[in-house]
Parts: sequence; structure tokens; C-alpha cells
Amino acid sequence: MSWAAHDLEPYAFQRHLGGKVAIVPLLIGSYSPDLFSKWFVYGIEVFGVELQADDPTQFHRGWPGVGFTHSLAFGIVVAALLLLLTRSRIWAFSFLLGHWAHALTDVGDTIGTMLLFPFSTETIGVGAWAYAGHVGRLTDAGAYFSGLGFVWDGVWILYGLVSWRILTRAYFRETIVPADPFWGWAGQRLPEAALLALYRASFFYGTTRWVAWVIWAHVVNDFPIDLSWGGPDWVDAAYD
Amino acid sequence: MRELAPYLAAGVAYIALGVAFPSLLLSWVEGVAFLLVAVWLLPALVRRLR
Repeated sequence: MSWAAHDLEPYAFQRHLGGKVAIVPLLIGSYSPDLFSKWFVYGIEVFGVELQADDPTQFHRGWPGVGFTHSLAFGIVVAALLLLLTRSRIWAFSFLLGHWAHALTDVGDTIGTMLLFPFSTETIGVGAWAYAGHVGRLTDAGAYFSGLGFVWDGVWILYGLVSWRILTRAYFRETIVPADPFWGWAGQRLPEAALLALYRASFFYGTTRWVAWVIWAHVVNDFPIDLSWGGPDWVDAAYD
Repeated sequence: MRELAPYLAAGVAYIALGVAFPSLLLSWVEGVAFLLVAVWLLPALVRRLR
């Protein structure tokens, strides 16, 4: 799993594809594989009752479980449904791009994703950073921001900063708004300052939380940094 | 620069709050709401009160 890449990768696509993509479905696609399942992986307490998957890793990435949401086919199915419902090719294409970026990014951890589901339930992963969703959110954060995962996220932050022009008001007016009728609709209800903030929000969220987690993990706490492949070694990582 | 300043201020505040209260960093909705308040609602309110 990734902690900030899913917020940031859509802006990299935006830079390269300009008016051929729409940022809203790009972001929805990028968040979609975990949208309805992450809370059950980490667990939540509702009226004193703890709700969590018996096997969080299996539930999140496997089958049986909801691991199919990280498959390439799932992205195609949802994009096709979007095309049927909205008749918008740019929405369907952008959603698919965002979804595939998420599924392929999560190949980086020690579990990987069932990319080829339903043809195969085998997870494909390169094991660059530890998957530690089952050990709880804060330990998972400490581990992620001590291994290669946070380096991967840092690459996207740097790429976004180098591409700062896509975050300007001029780019928003000239490229973002004309590409997607959503902004015209939203513009009838909200002022441009609010629309700009919404457009920039995921970049803001991904970047600031990356900085905050790094400070939290290594200044406030003392999680050992371990940039070895599959690290950090000190966490009880899940493996395929 | 005038447009960047409120985002930088919001970023510094969000990072400080997030380090102190990490649960704040876990919610995309809260992060976006924080940004909207900081760079749109609050400045709009200040302008109205002037």
C-alpha cells in the first residue's frame, strides 16, 4: 500500500495528458481500490464493538476478500459502467488511468496485487517495501515512512513540485475547466477560490501528510529507517 | 506569491496539527475541509468583516 502516491500520481498524469484527462475521475479512480475497504483492514470501533477483518491482509488483497478491487479488470469494468452511465469518454478513461495507477503502485509492497484477477488469484508484487496493514495504522505508518515506500511517495512530491505550473490558476482556467463539465456545474455554486482549492486539495493533502508523517515517525518517535529492499526489517511484514 | 501564501500557511498549520494529532492525517475529507477553511472560507470571512 502507499500513503501519499495515490494522492499525487493523478497530477503527474495531468501534466502529461493535459486536456485529454479530467482530474476528478482521475482522483476517484486513484482512490477507488481502497475506498470502501480500508476501514475494515485497519478496524474501527462502532458503539464499543471492534469491527475488523479476521485476516486483514487476505481481505485487502486476496481472494476470498476484496483484493479484486486492485485488479486491472476491475478498473475496466467500473470504467465501462461509468461510460454507460455518463456517456463521457474522458471520465471513463481518466478513472481507468487513476485506478490502474493505484493497482500498479501497490505492486511495490511485499504482498502485491491480484492484477490478473479473475484469470488468476496470484498476487504480483516486487516487494520493495513492507506491507504492514495488519499491525495497526500507526505502526504501519511508522514502517511505511521508514522504508522505500516513503521514498516512492517523495518522488511524486518532487515531480509535482517540478510540475508546479499545473497547479496555477491559469492552468486551471485554460486546461482543467474546459476538459470537464463538472467544473462548470460546480462553478455555478462555488467561487473560483473554492474550486481552485478543491483542484489542488489532493496534492496539498498528499504532500503535507507526507511531511507530517516523516516528522512524526523520526522526530516525535524513533522508528529506525531501513531503506533495504522489503524493509523495514523491524516490522512484522506480510508476505505473499 | 499572494496566492501561494495562504496555501503555505495552511500547509504548515496542517503539518503541525498532524504531527501532534496523527489521526487528523488519516482522513482525506478532513484534510480537504481544512484546506477549504484555510484558503477560502476564512479569507472570505475576514474580507466581509473588514
